[in-house]
Amino acid sequence: MLDIKDTAPEQDFADPIAGDPRNFAAAVNNWVPHDIVLKDAWFPLAHSFAVVDKPARRSVYSQPFYLWRENGVAVAAEFHPNDTDPTDKSDFSDAAGRYPVLEHYGYVWCWFGNPANADPAHLPSIPYLPAEGNLPKHMLGTVRFDCTAPLSLENLIDLTHADFLHADVVGDEKMDKEVVEVFYDSETITMVRRCTNKSVAPIMKWFGGVKSDVQQVRQVIRIYLRSHAAIAYGRFSPGDNVQLFHPCVPETRDRTRLDYAMNTSNVKKSNLFRYLMPKASYKVSRQDSTMTSPQSPRYMNPETRKDLHSPLDEAGQKYRVLMTALAERQARGDFAYRDNVSADCSEIIGYDGK
Amino acid sequence: MTEDVWWAVARSEEVTGDKPINIDIGDQPVVLWRDKDGFVRALEDRCPHRRAPLSLGCVLASGAIQCGYHGWTYDGESGRLVDIPNLKGEQKYPPIYRAVPFAVSEGGGFVRICLNAKAAAPVSPTTETLPLSGTENVSLSHEHLIAALFDDPALVIAIKGVHYTPYLMSELAEQNGKLVLERSCQWKSPHWPAPFSSDFPITLRIGTDPVTGETDLLLRDNAFNTLLSATVAPVPAARGVTQVRWRAKLGSTRPGLMAKMLGFGTPFRILPSVNGAALRTLKPSASIHAAALREEIRSHQAAAHNVAA
Repeated sequence: MLDIKDTAPEQDFADPIAGDPRNFAAAVNNWVPHDIVLKDAWFPLAHSFAVVDKPARRSVYSQPFYLWRENGVAVAAEFHPNDTDPTDKSDFSDAAGRYPVLEHYGYVWCWFGNPANADPAHLPSIPYLPAEGNLPKHMLGTVRFDCTAPLSLENLIDLTHADFLHADVVGDEKMDKEVVEVFYDSETITMVRRCTNKSVAPIMKWFGGVKSDVQQVRQVIRIYLRSHAAIAYGRFSPGDNVQLFHPCVPETRDRTRLDYAMNTSNVKKSNLFRYLMPKASYKVSRQDSTMTSPQSPRYMNPETRKDLHSPLDEAGQKYRVLMTALAERQARGDFAYRDNVSADCSEIIGYDGK
Repeated sequence: MTEDVWWAVARSEEVTGDKPINIDIGDQPVVLWRDKDGFVRALEDRCPHRRAPLSLGCVLASGAIQCGYHGWTYDGESGRLVDIPNLKGEQKYPPIYRAVPFAVSEGGGFVRICLNAKAAAPVSPTTETLPLSGTENVSLSHEHLIAALFDDPALVIAIKGVHYTPYLMSELAEQNGKLVLERSCQWKSPHWPAPFSSDFPITLRIGTDPVTGETDLLLRDNAFNTLLSATVAPVPAARGVTQVRWRAKLGSTRPGLMAKMLGFGTPFRILPSVNGAALRTLKPSASIHAAALREEIRSHQAAAHNVAA
């Protein structure tokens, strides 16, 4: 069973990015994502529609979660209700073996950590998902990545990979200019990428009615570090906005489950893009796994060789450092949230409700 | 893995400028491709940026290799980073920005690489390219594959119509720096059992490099006609698998029906899987002396090296 060391927060938190550059570089290069297990976080373990009267099994870092409904209300427990001989209960569930549960944004969220610290205030903000969920099923799906969850998120936050790995879906690297900005606090990191005159995403050209050869692109990736959950919001001109919720649930330390939601209700009902874009995840996720799967074992153990970096890797580097800092803080027994993850982030990601 | 050893890691025709390929030398992954001038290039199959396999990338018109993940592009000869396409404009990269290069030599239809990029080219690699060839991934370690070849070739190779007897014409010995033995063989036609035979119609001579296990095979009849010659190049790969490349040629004079039959169908094969039951009970015979002979060869070479120095 996993341990929970829960002592009073220490007030020794220092910004790990703004501090000594040598410490920053050391954290970037000592990146062993398999060793990071963050606790006290809400994980979206299932789409709401997937939780029914019959228990469904999920896991977070191998910790079992059984989800089902009692009188229509989602519940989560450490043991299957038919398990007559449960093994020792962990500290992650209450005396009855139940986990804290929330249902929001069309997901059943379970708390991984000390149940006493579960608080709805720690639920990530996802502005473009309806609070009550109810997105049509064609906008929802499940894909898996054959890698550790932090690598999957590092992959996401460095969008230059998309120009090579997903060129046949979202367009290649041809553009006039690319500017990347990164914002962060202790619980989140946000990357904003602006591309000028970028080659049009083929999926928008073929199915989205975009006639132009180039488009102006503003892509935002915002990661909620503890929940390993990302929002990917893209504004395309010409073209429709892309509104993806990308939660990377670490089922084990080397495998990741993604119950995604691609809200395309902003796209005209007569436009094929509305129905096909969510399905692109099946292709894109396999393309990602071709790289992240062989990458993953190469990040399982500390290495003396350092990765090389370019200025375009700023977001990925800062993600590494923030994750490491959070893990170190938790190792010291400090599980407190120092920044509010549930505050509406519409302004940060540039979402105007359309 | 010994750094200065030259391993035959590919057949020449396997390496093209269309798509890079991945091979292993032990736990060392290597990417191979042919540049625009036709030279084979070899780098560690790991992009130093985010550790993705370079073999999943592509070969550019310039002959450089581009990682399929973020587009980092490397020169094949030096391993130097030459481009990050998303960084628009001319960029200069410090020398540390490089993938690990390996030395390459091509000859006799084999591509050989050495993990030491500065190694001297191998001494007179075979120049003739034997026309028949193949590649097999054998689920047996390099060490055990060589031992099985010495003790019972039937576990690892098949020559059409040839039955290997347990009887040697010459036991394993050192000859010109190689481990050499010659085994008596019979045709798989009706014949008197080997233990009661006075003479055998054919022999298989096995000459093996003591380190790489690269082996020259020579099948001869009792009139000293070469019926088949082959070079077998085993390379230790990941997870105890041995990648084996081979090239072979039939002799021009093959008297007798069975010898002529070698010319029909597939005369030579490496077996991809090993009969575990037979391997487990195979008694070590010729291979027993291999370790001592290897040590002897190593000592001689070290002494010769010291004299030269």
